[in-house]
Amino acid sequence: MDYLKGRYSLAVAIGAIFGALSRFYIIEFVKAALGKNLGFCGTFLINVSGCVLIAYILTLAIENIRIISPELRLMTTTGFCGAYTTFSSYGLESKMFLDKGEIIMMLIYWIGSAIAGMIGIQIGLLLARASPKH
Amino acid sequence: MSDIINAFAIASGAFTGALSRFYITEWAKAKFDAKFPYATFAINLTGCLAVGFFFTISQGITGYPPELDLLIRTGFLGSYTTFSTYGFDTLTLWRSKQAIATAFYWAGSIILGLGAVILGVAIAQIVVR
Repeated sequence: MDYLKGRYSLAVAIGAIFGALSRFYIIEFVKAALGKNLGFCGTFLINVSGCVLIAYILTLAIENIRIISPELRLMTTTGFCGAYTTFSSYGLESKMFLDKGEIIMMLIYWIGSAIAGMIGIQIGLLLARASPKH
Repeated sequence: MSDIINAFAIASGAFTGALSRFYITEWAKAKFDAKFPYATFAINLTGCLAVGFFFTISQGITGYPPELDLLIRTGFLGSYTTFSTYGFDTLTLWRSKQAIATAFYWAGSIILGLGAVILGVAIAQIVVR
């Protein structure tokens, strides 16, 4: 029951607020810049960049490349990356493409996100391993 | 002023959503000593079900407050579900040499996730009709 400690919860909560607001503002920016119907481009960008970031931080921590305290790790990964990226909007946007009958766009977005996410994870992993050990 | 209310609605949803995910994940880790990320899997599917439901409700009810939509969908469900952990879990499973579990988790999450959204929409259509 270690995880019920206040400072762990606080770390997750702080990261989550920043993560969710970053996601909201990026999507609003993408909608304003590209068009109201292109919000999914923002979600795609967010999900892939979040994958790079979580793999980078967790690899630094797990492979002892950097010493990261549990609180900082929770704030940046479970809190920030977890709230920044989203599976629910991704699912809903895929369903919207289906409803509009845009099957090819739906398949590109739906399967493409899952593939691009895994590429993002690999990039984060390689970036972490490329950083000098301390 | 509405910008501050919007930000506050998202932030309130975000920290409750992320903490729900954190507690469910840690509880499942302690309870079931399993390599398969059951918690993240269940969280993403239930989040997809809920987003289909609340999106349809928000569209179907006139005068549904946009702040409530930001609180529930952008804030809570956006933070509750996660794509980054899903990606990292897939890599972790792959590294533990469980090819079938990896394929099931990777493809199953997105297939069942889409199914859950469709189910959520269908449930909401019964409610708002």
